[in-house]
Amino acid sequence: MAVSTVYTVQSLNSTCSISKPTKTHLGFNQKQLVFFKKTTTTTTRRPTTVITCSAGDTVVIGLAADSGCGKSTFMRRLTSVFGGAAEPPKGGNPDSNTLISDTTTVICLDDYHSLDRTGRKEKGVTALDPRANNFDLMYEQVKAIKSGVPVEKPIYNHVTGLIDPPELIKPPKIFVIEGLHPMYDARVRELLDFSIYLDISNEVKFAWKIQRDMAERGHSLESIKASIEARKPDFDAYIDPQKQYADAVIEVLPTQLIPDDNEGKVLRVRLIMKEGVKYFNPVYLFDEGSTISWIPCGRKLTCSYPGIKFSYGPETYFGHEVSVLEMDGQFDRLDELIYVESHLSNLSSKFYGEVTQQMLKHADFPGSNNGTGFFQTIVGLKIRDLFEQIVASKTGAPLEATKA
Amino acid sequence: MAAVTGVSLTTPKVLALESPKKVQSIKFSLLNNPWKRCTEFGRSGMYVRPVAAAPEGLSEKLAESVKSAEEACSENATSGECVAAWDEVEELSAEASHARDKKKESDPLETYCKENPETDECRTYDN
Repeated sequence: MAVSTVYTVQSLNSTCSISKPTKTHLGFNQKQLVFFKKTTTTTTRRPTTVITCSAGDTVVIGLAADSGCGKSTFMRRLTSVFGGAAEPPKGGNPDSNTLISDTTTVICLDDYHSLDRTGRKEKGVTALDPRANNFDLMYEQVKAIKSGVPVEKPIYNHVTGLIDPPELIKPPKIFVIEGLHPMYDARVRELLDFSIYLDISNEVKFAWKIQRDMAERGHSLESIKASIEARKPDFDAYIDPQKQYADAVIEVLPTQLIPDDNEGKVLRVRLIMKEGVKYFNPVYLFDEGSTISWIPCGRKLTCSYPGIKFSYGPETYFGHEVSVLEMDGQFDRLDELIYVESHLSNLSSKFYGEVTQQMLKHADFPGSNNGTGFFQTIVGLKIRDLFEQIVASKTGAPLEATKA
Repeated sequence: MAAVTGVSLTTPKVLALESPKKVQSIKFSLLNNPWKRCTEFGRSGMYVRPVAAAPEGLSEKLAESVKSAEEACSENATSGECVAAWDEVEELSAEASHARDKKKESDPLETYCKENPETDECRTYDN
């Protein structure tokens, strides 16, 4: 349903960007303003162009994790839930860290480094250190995007280690900031509508980094270990404390199903969901607020070793009330996935089997057979639900105003 | 004639034997002793998938940065320089792994169709 109104130009021009009309996948009411621009200098008439303004509808999501911890996989799953593939901006800097899809824009907070690689080496400071990041610029630009104003965001080139000329970022419907410090600065934290922290335990982190780096000639087991050890103090001091502010924490631990497991292939994943967050209803198993332990393998479902174990219950996390849904083990077959999905409640899925369908769509992504992929997909659905509720409340408010 | 052909046949055989000797010996030992696979060829029981390394420039940079980090840390293990050097190694490793992922997915038809979805080769009929 498109409501078309003709406005005179002046004030609206500054906050809106001119673009070709695009189809919205989610079918939301998108205000489309048809402009007829009156130019005073020339007599030639400008053709009507459709200008779409997000007009301060942008929902800002923050995602925090150490590097090498699955942020990019999470981003691809998240953008897939919203529809459309996220790609780097066309025609721009090829080393840009930004991903843009129809509804979502994802920026990497490394772009707000105040010191480039050489600068950090000179000062003896890691990228994890707040002194290497420009939080004032981060706050201003995220605030601008949230209120519907496009910004020129710097680019940190990971290949060269230099800060490149800025790129234009237009306010999207959903704006995701991912990086090391989305929740570090209190002002930026206030702007976030939802925040997620990926907490990977040391053993699992070590195993994943080995998998990632062993193919490189320059690396050896010792160098990978040394790299993790050297970064640990800064990580514990600056990055880890952010998990107390997150609305959802995905904690990845080694499995408890296999005694003395050191392969790190089977994982125990805990989805810690804060209670009392606006527009966010935690996922639960069987009965909200009670403590459940569930092994789905049995008569109706046969699983191969080591099987699957779920548990759910209320807990306290850094002084907050939280609900924790935990999965240990891995999925081997489609029917295990759909069986588990059918027993969970409050998933915010639009149809039966949506989580399974999303998991199958990206069966080649890492974590597609265990709790990491499963919970990332569920968090994606929760974010979609949060977005729809925010939009509904915003369109509901002006109607209320007109009634009164 | 026979002598000439005899000579020409034998010399390549000799050459062929020299070079792949080392490779063959490793391969044969793996085939002959399959139970040794996990202990000899896997480090600490981790399953390592053989993946091609990142593009040349990045791999070189990574190898250099590991060396300079080891040097910086040999002097003082807790100094800022040591930590910053290992952080650089981490950053380059992440970049190398992204580059490897990008290289993997370069199917020429897919990349062409991303830019030109309306051409005949790229049309899809979903319903």
